[in-house]
Parts: sequence; structure tokens; C-alpha cells
Amino acid sequence: MAEKKLGDYIINVKNIYKTFPNGVKALCDFSTNIRRAEVVVVIGPSGSGKSTFLRCLNGLEDIDSGEIVFDGIPLDDNKKNRLQIRRDMGMVFQLFNLFPHLTVLQNVMLAQQLVRKSSTSLAKSVSMELLEKVGIDDKVDSFPSQLSGGQQQRVAIARALAMKPKVMLFDEATSALDPEMIGEVLDVMRTLAEEGMTMICVTHELGFAQEVSDWVIFMDEGKIVEGGTAEHFFNNPQEERTKLFLSQIL
Amino acid sequence: MNNGRTQDAGLSPPITGNRLLSASRLPIKDIIVYLFIMAGIVWIILRGASEQGYNWQWYRIPQFLYTSKDGVFTLGPLLEGLKITLHITWISMILTYIIGLATALLRLSDSIIGRVVARVYLEIARNTPLIVQLFFIYFVVAPVLGIDRLFAAILALSLFEGAYASEVYRSGIVSLPKGQWEAAHSLGLTTFDTYRKVILPQAIRRVLPPLTSQTISLIKDSSLVSVIAVYEMTMQANAIVAETFLTFEIYFTIAGIYLVITVILSQFVALMERKFKVHN
Repeated sequence: MAEKKLGDYIINVKNIYKTFPNGVKALCDFSTNIRRAEVVVVIGPSGSGKSTFLRCLNGLEDIDSGEIVFDGIPLDDNKKNRLQIRRDMGMVFQLFNLFPHLTVLQNVMLAQQLVRKSSTSLAKSVSMELLEKVGIDDKVDSFPSQLSGGQQQRVAIARALAMKPKVMLFDEATSALDPEMIGEVLDVMRTLAEEGMTMICVTHELGFAQEVSDWVIFMDEGKIVEGGTAEHFFNNPQEERTKLFLSQIL
Repeated sequence: MNNGRTQDAGLSPPITGNRLLSASRLPIKDIIVYLFIMAGIVWIILRGASEQGYNWQWYRIPQFLYTSKDGVFTLGPLLEGLKITLHITWISMILTYIIGLATALLRLSDSIIGRVVARVYLEIARNTPLIVQLFFIYFVVAPVLGIDRLFAAILALSLFEGAYASEVYRSGIVSLPKGQWEAAHSLGLTTFDTYRKVILPQAIRRVLPPLTSQTISLIKDSSLVSVIAVYEMTMQANAIVAETFLTFEIYFTIAGIYLVITVILSQFVALMERKFKVHN
């Protein structure tokens, strides 16, 4: 990846712990820091806490202890803070989670109208621009059920981008897609990265990780086992567990 | 070369019974059985009536439905009663939907008080008979609040049916995938907006069938308010029967009227369902 200028820290995560009600320790003394414009890829075996980490960042899950600070705003009990953080972080889910009763265009417009209080015409023009960008401008009046998985996911990305977030979270965005559709979604993600969006991606697409990421985190059992640049990671991993994992996947 | 592949590859449903009948798609057997049962029921009724020495007087019924004197068309007591029934039903329906939705939202809310209040109301309303609730509201609550007989009837009906409606709403809301909530959350929508634009539009479409059953129950249960002397259709029927002893004819007639109303309602809802089909 060409030389990229990374900004200051936008997310600080300090010693977070999370245990689920059934006793499973999802996160154990987890700390990391993310810079603006950085593309961070989180990999690891299932159950390692990757998705949980992502979901703690925007408040979908609550942490038991520790600190998360987003662009100067702490993620605490203050409702206003939590709302602000949710609005400035966009999330793309493995199962797309589009609203089935609304058209593609309405899906992308909804949050702008309700949250940013944009007028219908402004919301529409922003939405059309984004849908064009992700390549779905010919299906704006279709319903999600009429689209393929790859198309739905691209709409989901447009929907998240419509809120002009500072950080985009991708939770296994391509894991539920047929192989021939993974490429089109990764292309959109690659474009976003090149445009300087701060991204945190939980993924199994190691090719993408190698090409696009600035930093790779390998997690296992709720902890960071190893973190490094893509180059370091794939060419010269240090930890045994990392080597084992990579040998199983690559 | 015939390798057995000329038969369709097991794609059509297994054909049982007479091939000719299945081909014409008429459930002849079912129709015959149905007619037989209906004939049996009618025969039982007629026999029972004749055993009692009942004298059928259908010719006397129309005057209770309408009278036409000197070209002036007036509704008879039964149809006047129907007007009241429809009036009660219509208002109770709206109140039921509102109370039901509010209670469901309370049950799902974050506030402990809200959940407890909802739960207590639901347990009481669903575990006591409607007739008891009617008496209670009419004799105890109405004097205290100063409300009249008709409104007491509407209130009792709405509270009773509202409890059942709330469970219907709640099941619809809870049946939606968690992902819908998560997507709305991550877009920064407030809980209110999430319910308004994401959850309820989907939930309500899902629960239209049970809600319709609910409404039909409401129409039928409205006949119970006759016990507090509201002159809706059943009460009118009772009054006429007391005077004329036209028991069978009158009750069959109003049963038929209730049937017509509920069938019309069901058709209307089916039409609405087709119009707002959820794309899943």
C-alpha cells in the first residue's frame, strides 16, 4: 500500500473486559488505539471476540469495565454521548440488515431525514450520489428482497455512509456472500480506504487485509495476540498462535 | 432412448385417489361430506323445534328489520340495535388498538414501573371474564368517574380486548430479527424513531391476521354489553323475544347479521393485506 498519512488518534480503547451472561469471556484486558484514516483489519478464529470488540465500539454491546473514547467523547452512561458516538460511526453487518419494507433509496434516506433532519430533496441527492458510487443507481426503487446479496451489502454500505460517519465498522461484511459477489463489495471497501475513511474490518479476506490494511490485529480468546503492519503479519509473524492460524488459512 | 427420465422427476405432488377428480381439482368428496353434515345439523334443529311443538313464523321477522309505511323507510328495532352495535364496535376497535399498542410498548420498555404496570393490567384483564369486567366497570368505576352506560360498555370492551391485542402486537415486534434493531441503532436512530419507522411498520403487517381475529372477537363480544342494558342488537333481540317468543327466528337472524359483518370485515382485511404485502 502506498505511503499514507495517518491522522491523530480517533479511538482509544483501554483495558476493556466483557463477559457474556452465559459466562463466556469475550474480551479480556483489551486495549488498542486507532488513528484517523487508518484501515485496521481484525482477524482470528471464531469466538475470539472480534465482533464483540466491534460492537462494543458503537455501543451495541456494553463493556463490563475499561474505557472507550471516540474522538474525545467517552462511551459512558451519558445518553447524549452514546447517541453522538453512534451517529458518527457507521456499521455494516454480515447479514446486511436492510429494512425490507422500504425501497433501496428510502433505506439510504431514512437516517438522514430522521437524525440529520435533512430535507427530502437533500437526502435524496446525497443518497443518489452514494448509490451511484457503490454501483446500485439503477435499482433505487427496488426492495431489498429483489436484490442479490452483493447488491444488498453495497446498499448497506451506502446507507451507513449517508450519515457521513468518521469511522466505518465492517463486521464480516463479506462472510455471507457467494464468492462471485465478494469482489464487488471488497472493491467498494477498497475505494473507501483509498479515499481516507477510517475503517475497522473484521474479516476472513486475507487478500484484502494484505492489500489494503495499515494495521492487522490477530485476536484469540478475547485478547490481542499480535498486532502489526500487513507486511509484518503475513511475512514475519512472531507468535506461535499467529503462525498456526495463518498456516491453517493460507 | 427411454431411460425412465420421461416421467417428471418427482416434482409434482403425489396423486392420491381418483385421478380424474384430482385432474379437475374439485374436492368433490369434501363438498359431499360438508353438505351431508350441514343437512344433519339442519335436520337436528328442525326436529328439536318440532318436538317442542315450535311454530315457525319467519313471516313476522321483516317488520323488526325495517318498515315501509307510506313510502317512509324506517329501520326496525333490530337494525337500530345494529347501528348501536357498530357504533360501539367502531370506537372500541380504535381504543383497543391504542391500548394494545401502548401496553405492548410498555411491556418492552426499559422502565421497570412500565413493565410492572403493563403486566398487572394484562393479568387482570385476561384472567377475568368479560362479563365480570363489564359489571365492575358499570357498577363501580362508572359512578366514580361519572361516565354513562354506553361509554362504560366501550371502556370495558376496549380494556378487555386491548389486553389480548397487546400480546399480538408484542409477538409481532419480538418476531422481527434483532438485526433490524441493530441497524437502526448503528445509524443513530432514537428508540422512538426506530419503533415508528422500522419496527412497527413491519410488525403490524405481520400480525394483521391475529389482529383481525381480535377484531372479530370484539364484534361478537360486543353482544355481551346487553347485560348492562345497552340497546345494541342483542339487547333488542332479547326484548323482542320476550314479547313475541319468536326465539329461533330472531336469534338466527341476528346470528346471520353478525356473520355478515364479520365476513365483510375479514374480506376487507384480506384486501389490505394484499395491498401492503411485506417483501420478505
